Amino acid sequence: MLKVTNLNAGYGHVQILRDVSFSVDDGEIIAILGSNGAGKTTTVRAVTGMIRPKSGSVMLNGQELCGKSSRAILDAGIIQVPEGRQLFTEMTVYENLELGAFSDEAKKRLNDSLAFCYKYFPKLEERTKQAAGTLSGGEQQMVAVARALIGLPKVLILDEPSLGLAPNIVDEILTVAGDMAAHQGVSIILVEQDVNKALNTANRGYVIENGHVVLSGSARELQDNEHVKRAYLGI
Amino acid sequence: MDTFLQACLNGLMIGGFYSLMGMGQNVIFGVMKIINFCHGEMLMVGMYLAYAFYTYLGIDPYLALPLVALVMFVFGAIFQHTLITPSLGTHSFTNLLFLTVGMGILLTNGAQVIFTSDYRTITTGYSQIILSLGPVTVALPRVVSFCVLIAVSIALAFFLKYTQTGKKIRAVSQNPIGAQVVGIDTKKIYMITYGLGAALAGVSGALLTLFYVINPTAGSNFGFRALIVVVVGGLGSIGGAFLAGIFLGLLETLVSLFIGPSLRTLVVFATFIVILVIRQNILLRRA
Repeated sequence: MLKVTNLNAGYGHVQILRDVSFSVDDGEIIAILGSNGAGKTTTVRAVTGMIRPKSGSVMLNGQELCGKSSRAILDAGIIQVPEGRQLFTEMTVYENLELGAFSDEAKKRLNDSLAFCYKYFPKLEERTKQAAGTLSGGEQQMVAVARALIGLPKVLILDEPSLGLAPNIVDEILTVAGDMAAHQGVSIILVEQDVNKALNTANRGYVIENGHVVLSGSARELQDNEHVKRAYLGI
Repeated sequence: MDTFLQACLNGLMIGGFYSLMGMGQNVIFGVMKIINFCHGEMLMVGMYLAYAFYTYLGIDPYLALPLVALVMFVFGAIFQHTLITPSLGTHSFTNLLFLTVGMGILLTNGAQVIFTSDYRTITTGYSQIILSLGPVTVALPRVVSFCVLIAVSIALAFFLKYTQTGKKIRAVSQNPIGAQVVGIDTKKIYMITYGLGAALAGVSGALLTLFYVINPTAGSNFGFRALIVVVVGGLGSIGGAFLAGIFLGLLETLVSLFIGPSLRTLVVFATFIVILVIRQNILLRRA
């Protein structure tokens, strides 16, 4: 299980996150919700070591990861599907996926992992030799998700997977995330602006505003919450 | 007609060097987004290394190639890790400009201190062998150097395309954030890349020694032309760099032949400016 406690982080002298805390159990899906600029992606970056947090704790199964390098955190099993996908657009789909195998274990199991990903995303198998940049947005998102899965995550962070994609593709990706949680015991952190979709998938959720966690609870509770309804669901 | 063919052949031969220099510069620029202003000086160091290996240790310049490559790779990797990588963090173009220009000055003057500014040459048993190919003639070392150069270029392309390290180099140059996401050790890739660029420049220098005068400023011509090759050939394109280098070599020798050797450099840079202007307009229209 991943437990993040009182995380403070920002860029230069600008502090974005103030005492952000959340946790996710093995096989659980949590949603981190908030509008643009609330601090969601900064949370992802701080947890994955892409920026160095000022203070706080990021514990994965009792191992302190706060302040560690992004490579050490990746090695511990926290893997993200970054916002904007960040694929290697001039490389083939296969090369992109291959680069997702970070640990020795992941490298050893590359072929099994590829077969597993192709089962979920059969389209990718047809396009292994195509440059990733020539795929449609949805297919590129599939590559990004598959690339993360090939790293054998213990915690999988999906940062804005719905951005700019058709609803059916988003559903497809969320189904994979659900299966990973249910069958492989992977913890999923779903970072989303699309609150409705996120809460339909997640077990629990946290709402971030101005770098604070202002609300948390089960997906049901949040869906019924007046503030969430007004601010995010437009009801 | 014969002189034309001869000029084409000479252009092709010298163009190969511009290509190889351009490829090294291109890989460095692709990965770190910096212009390596001491690329030509590294070629010059490769020349002196080959000279020293031959004069003091009696090693044939061609056999010394792996040694030159190794020494230059280590030099490049250390320079990258101790000075360039820390400067990249400052995001200051000026810092990096001074750093690489400064290294160039250091190398030139270092060579001057050690070897004086006298022009030096290497003469081996086979230096003077001339081959005739129909109407044109060419010295044996030029042919051998050109063949080695082509082999090295192909090896580089294969390395980048098929090896794990090559794939990581391409990944960092295409998307640094993505590279961090998949856990590529960026600093290590920087070291390998710069080391590789230095080794390519050094090998180019060593290949030149058998038919080119060795002196502390011999590299600057090649350094500037490497930049042209990168810009004309397209950033990140190994094939483009190769063709641009050959084009540049042909252009130079043909200008020498038809217009006059003294105008060679002028025409080359004027063409470069014209290409830049045309490109800029095409880009603007597309945008």
